[in-house]
Amino acid sequence: MNGAPKEVTLTIDGTQLTVPEGTLLVEAAKRIKTDIPVYCYHPKLGPAGLCRICLVDVEKTPKLQIACNTTVAEGMVVHTYGPKVEDGRRAVLEFLLLNHPLDCPICDKGGECDLQDYSIAYGQGASRLADPKEIKPKAIDLGPTIVLDDERCIVCQRCTRFDEIITLERSLVVKDRGQRDVIATATGTPYVSMFSGNVTELCPVGALTSKTYRFKSRPWDLNRSLTTCVQCSAGCAINVDERHGEVLRTMSVPGDDAVSEGWLCDRGRYNVGFYSDPRRLTSPLLRRDGEWVQLGWDDAIDLWAKTLREAVDSAGPKSLAALGGGRLTNEEAYLVGHVFRALGCENIDWRTGRQRQASPGPRGGTYADVESAQALVLVGVPAAQTAPIMSLRIRKAVSQRGARMILVGDYVLPIRVAHDRVARPRDLASLDLDRYERIAFFWDGIDPRVGSELNEFAESLAEGRKIFTYINGETPNARGAEGMGLVPRSGGRDSVGILAAAHDGNLRALAIFAANPVLHMPGGANFVRGAIKNVPFVVTTELFMTPTAERSTLVLPARGPFEKSGHTFDLTGAARVLRPGVAAPTGTLSDLEILIALASALGVDVPGPVALHRQAVLHAPWVASGFGDPALFAEGELKALRAGPKASGLRLVIAADLFSGGGTVYHDDRLGELRPLATATLSEHTAAVAGVHDGDLVDLVAAEGTLSGLVVRLAPNHVDGTVTILEGLPDAPASAFESGQTVALANVRVPAGVA
Amino acid sequence: MTASRDFAETLAKVKPEAERLMAQYPQKRSALLSILHAFQNAEGWVSPEALAAAAEMLDLPVSVVESTASFYTLFFRRPVGQYVLQVCRNLSCQLNGAEEIMAYCREKLNVRHFETTYDGRFSYEEVECLAACDRAPCMQVNLEFVYDLTREKIDEILLAMNAGNFEVAPLPQTVKPDVTWFVAHEGEKKSPGAQGVSSPNDPGGIGDPSGRQMIERIVRDPRLVEARPTAERLVRDGAARLEAGAEH
Amino acid sequence: MPVSKVLTRGIGEVDLRDLKVYRRRGGYRQWKRVITELQPVEVVDLVSKSNLRGRGGAGFPTGRKWGFLPNNGRPRYMVCNSDEAEPGTFKDRMLIEETPHQVIEGMLIGAYAIGAKQAFIYIRGEFKRGYEVFTKALADARDAGLIGEKLFGTEHGVEITIHRGAGAYICGEETALLNSLEGRRGEPRLKPPFPAIKGLYDEPTVVNNVETLAFLPYILKNGPEWFAQIGPPKSPGLKVVSVSGHVKKPGNFEVALGTTLRKLLALAGGPRDGRKIIAVQPGGGSSACLFEEHLDLSYDFDTMAANGTMLGSGAVVFFDDTTDFVKAAHALVRFFAHESCGQCTPCREGGHWLEVTLERILHGGGLDSDIDMLVAVARQLTGINLCPLGDSIEPFLASVVKRFESQFRGYVRKRAIAV
Repeated sequence: MNGAPKEVTLTIDGTQLTVPEGTLLVEAAKRIKTDIPVYCYHPKLGPAGLCRICLVDVEKTPKLQIACNTTVAEGMVVHTYGPKVEDGRRAVLEFLLLNHPLDCPICDKGGECDLQDYSIAYGQGASRLADPKEIKPKAIDLGPTIVLDDERCIVCQRCTRFDEIITLERSLVVKDRGQRDVIATATGTPYVSMFSGNVTELCPVGALTSKTYRFKSRPWDLNRSLTTCVQCSAGCAINVDERHGEVLRTMSVPGDDAVSEGWLCDRGRYNVGFYSDPRRLTSPLLRRDGEWVQLGWDDAIDLWAKTLREAVDSAGPKSLAALGGGRLTNEEAYLVGHVFRALGCENIDWRTGRQRQASPGPRGGTYADVESAQALVLVGVPAAQTAPIMSLRIRKAVSQRGARMILVGDYVLPIRVAHDRVARPRDLASLDLDRYERIAFFWDGIDPRVGSELNEFAESLAEGRKIFTYINGETPNARGAEGMGLVPRSGGRDSVGILAAAHDGNLRALAIFAANPVLHMPGGANFVRGAIKNVPFVVTTELFMTPTAERSTLVLPARGPFEKSGHTFDLTGAARVLRPGVAAPTGTLSDLEILIALASALGVDVPGPVALHRQAVLHAPWVASGFGDPALFAEGELKALRAGPKASGLRLVIAADLFSGGGTVYHDDRLGELRPLATATLSEHTAAVAGVHDGDLVDLVAAEGTLSGLVVRLAPNHVDGTVTILEGLPDAPASAFESGQTVALANVRVPAGVA
Repeated sequence: MTASRDFAETLAKVKPEAERLMAQYPQKRSALLSILHAFQNAEGWVSPEALAAAAEMLDLPVSVVESTASFYTLFFRRPVGQYVLQVCRNLSCQLNGAEEIMAYCREKLNVRHFETTYDGRFSYEEVECLAACDRAPCMQVNLEFVYDLTREKIDEILLAMNAGNFEVAPLPQTVKPDVTWFVAHEGEKKSPGAQGVSSPNDPGGIGDPSGRQMIERIVRDPRLVEARPTAERLVRDGAARLEAGAEH
Repeated sequence: MPVSKVLTRGIGEVDLRDLKVYRRRGGYRQWKRVITELQPVEVVDLVSKSNLRGRGGAGFPTGRKWGFLPNNGRPRYMVCNSDEAEPGTFKDRMLIEETPHQVIEGMLIGAYAIGAKQAFIYIRGEFKRGYEVFTKALADARDAGLIGEKLFGTEHGVEITIHRGAGAYICGEETALLNSLEGRRGEPRLKPPFPAIKGLYDEPTVVNNVETLAFLPYILKNGPEWFAQIGPPKSPGLKVVSVSGHVKKPGNFEVALGTTLRKLLALAGGPRDGRKIIAVQPGGGSSACLFEEHLDLSYDFDTMAANGTMLGSGAVVFFDDTTDFVKAAHALVRFFAHESCGQCTPCREGGHWLEVTLERILHGGGLDSDIDMLVAVARQLTGINLCPLGDSIEPFLASVVKRFESQFRGYVRKRAIAV
């Protein structure tokens, strides 16, 4: 049995072509640039045979055949145009347009609508309907992001099949029967999904539209640029559509098979309003006598350079520190290290949040490798909360390959699939994982003790097997920052040490690059605030006046990812390209420009563009030795996990939510409903035991502090005995707490206005 | 309609039957229709609680169970009467006088197709071929056949049902039914439950699903308001012109 | 030559639901013989030789259908289609309610022949009485050791499960039935893959009609030649025909295929007093109408097909000269629109469009152009659908518009409401 796939030769419209056996006609036609119209067929969703628009004439068959479900056969002769085919298409279009409302002038899809396009190409023009069109509900508020228009819907079921095949969430379903078929969710339940925006792209007509884009623009008014999204570590390719200097919407990149496969998560898709938010910083601000004073760029850079020189001269380079870089491009991250190391400073660390490691190690896999895994071991913060596109790959492995899911600790699975759970990584030995040949391990990069225990187990299985490791961390370009060397080398302090030094008054100057440690740095907002307060000169580059920027001495207005060019690494370490899609507000500079200006003021040589590019992209990024690489952690951090005494109370789980945060999401008013409330989520059983109900208000109490006024939510999939809160909420920052610690609930009350 | 029943009791009754049904099939999802029949037999209709319970038992999302249930016409998604009268309106019955019979039923019960009588006793539906064409016109009462319908026969059975001694047992009725059990559009105009979901009439920051804001903006644009003749202004301007002695 | 009935023999005279009665008349003897003496392939061979064609509507040769199953070691399933809902058909209900054991025996033999260990019967939701009768019959048969594992001391066995539908005509289509059996919406599946390859739970499956399976014990008892020699060679055997409409004594009649519509009319007591039959629908609601000049045609699969209509499930509806064909057409079009699953565009939109147009015509709002449009639209939605329901809309409508156009024009002239 040889491995070469069999090939088939057929003729389409007089052109002979040879394709692999099993190819669908609709795909074969694409090879000769013949577009057969389709609605329900989608390359990623497969054929459904519902719309009937793809009818073609296959010789020797009496009836027209649908190209989406006909596989090529040797010697097949196909006609995709001609009277027979045109009659069929005209018929189908007449039926589709019959009760379709004449909404084109007010429909968002106008200009990029498949129904419009095919009607012009294949339709018959006038309608023969002598009766009123069917009236159905319009502008249905389907959920926080999507509006459904039943009248426009052609029931192609791309949206329901997307929810069934790709996300496995099955929130959208078809209800009723016949002409009354309607797309709906479970009664009374909104359509809430991290991937809801994709249905607006899948929908061939304007039935599903995005709330953030409704009535905003026409596609021909938009200028499109292809760039990379930097809102999470996944690194999806993204199309940015701007008009008059405003980013109006983003769209997926169908050809991005390496990462996103043509899908986008809602965070990347919808969090774009902040680019034109009036609260954007547009000039350097200096705090003088408790007031903010505007400064010119030259003065600001000069002041900064002067302060740095003075600090080095009087207290040595040990009194300097640079934090952040996980949200910068590779080029910018590289320059941070370059400039500060030129001053002799080794207190450089990108880790201003929970994530402590970015590179998984030499066994790091690609996105495609996830799909081929036979078993998936998931530890820490779920991929669905940190890199949703990775979560789709995990779901694909489960649904299409039957991969087995093993959850460790309190991992919350976002979908209902069968899984095993063990308490700790070392417990994985009790499962029979050695019968698999390809296993993928996911860690969030937060707790190095968990990471190294997991690493040990993974290594024990590595012999004769394919092991793929991934870190789905919370910081977007952590891989790039780490890879460019923003980790302290010998003699330097890591971020925890830097803040400790700050606290003790040992730092003279601190630079924070595009980071918000007040909100995200473990140790608590108070500790971080206190630390920063004790540093005489703090410079922050930011887009908005975040809690960290508020406490700085000098705030420099920076640019966002869509306004910059450069490169990042996705979480697998592959280089991704950024191209500017929208003009930045006047007065802002990218961190690259800021650093070059600073270097110039300091008299430090900066590598030229070619050398910088080579450094940022072509050099292989630094690779850790595995999960929990000791080079990245202080000794104390790697102490073995203790099985603590059974404390009474609940175990805390700090989950991530891509719509939390104090920067781009906080300052994006288009996202109103998507910003999460401060919640405490429990399983039904735990809530019953604790005596709380969904919707109650409660305080979370621990030694480190209290979070008051959390809304109780009950959810399935949450481990009994745990309570889950969200990281990064400006109103209820969780940075003082740690996942796994014991907390208690107190002061349960019913909110006012509820019976 | 208020739920004046204890669903836990129904669930306890249906659960053993459901387990037996699920065990019969290689995949337990196959038991869904039969489980919904069991709930309907117990309560008289397929309630939201029943759908949720079925979803739980079969490990399915509620949305999928609702989608499946909504496909089949024998599942009543809202409460119905104690006697569900389903008269055949298809070809062979029509050829044998079904139209007259249906008109008579509607007249006697004072209902239309898909409606329940005011006292909540009879629900009336016109259905498709019941496979009793040799005894046309015919109907089913609670899925039991009543053949060879005539006006007299209709009178007879209605009498018996009202008296409670008809050969077919009434359905259990846990909730008093409304006028109809027909679910017009399964989609709702507003999806409650999302945190702070905006109303189409007051969208706040998230954009305007109904387009109303945009229309408001156009209609109330001050530059346009001034230019637009309103009745009031026409009268006012007309009076002013009269005063000024202008010609009209 | 009169052929003696088999399926309907004894109905109304003895209680064939009683297992003892059924066995006394020879019931389950063939099942025992099959499972103890014959190999499955021998049974398939016998059935193929009998030229038995499916009695549910499609008329596909049963032996050939059984031969499509692949030898891939996957579990196989036999499904008995008792979702009888074709307008004018009421034979399966009679078989289920009056002679359930006959059907059970046929299911067992059929399952054994295709190597299925489990068989299902999908009973229409409205057949509550039939479901109760069949449940009891199954229980009796199981108690008597006729159903289950390791029967009659052999290694073989067949288990039967009853599944109730819930009100959807489309579930009579085999792939929609399989979806419904799996607990899903009863929507037809895309073919290929075919049920013989990927059917119930994606395993090789055969779906047969109640009547088809009910004949199996008799084919085995009397031999395939007995069946093959009744009626035309390519469309042989007995058939239970449901006759209704404008006849004096409607009912189920077991006849030899190759009889004539005129003979069926006579069996059903002829037309009502003083009336003349002017049209007949020979194969259920999906078939085109034939007319008085066709009454002597041979009633078999091929002759009906050759005359532009079909035998279908064998449901004959006679229309006399009082018939309002506009109302009749409306009733059937409304039926198909109501039962459409809604998946594919032409059936979902076109069917509803035709229903709305006919309704408007009936209420006096019709235009002359509507009549031509009806025929054109019905033609246009045929042949491009996912399943045969969409294709079922045109035949009756087109045939009566053509023949009784004056009736349709008459409605248009009557204009009661201004359009």
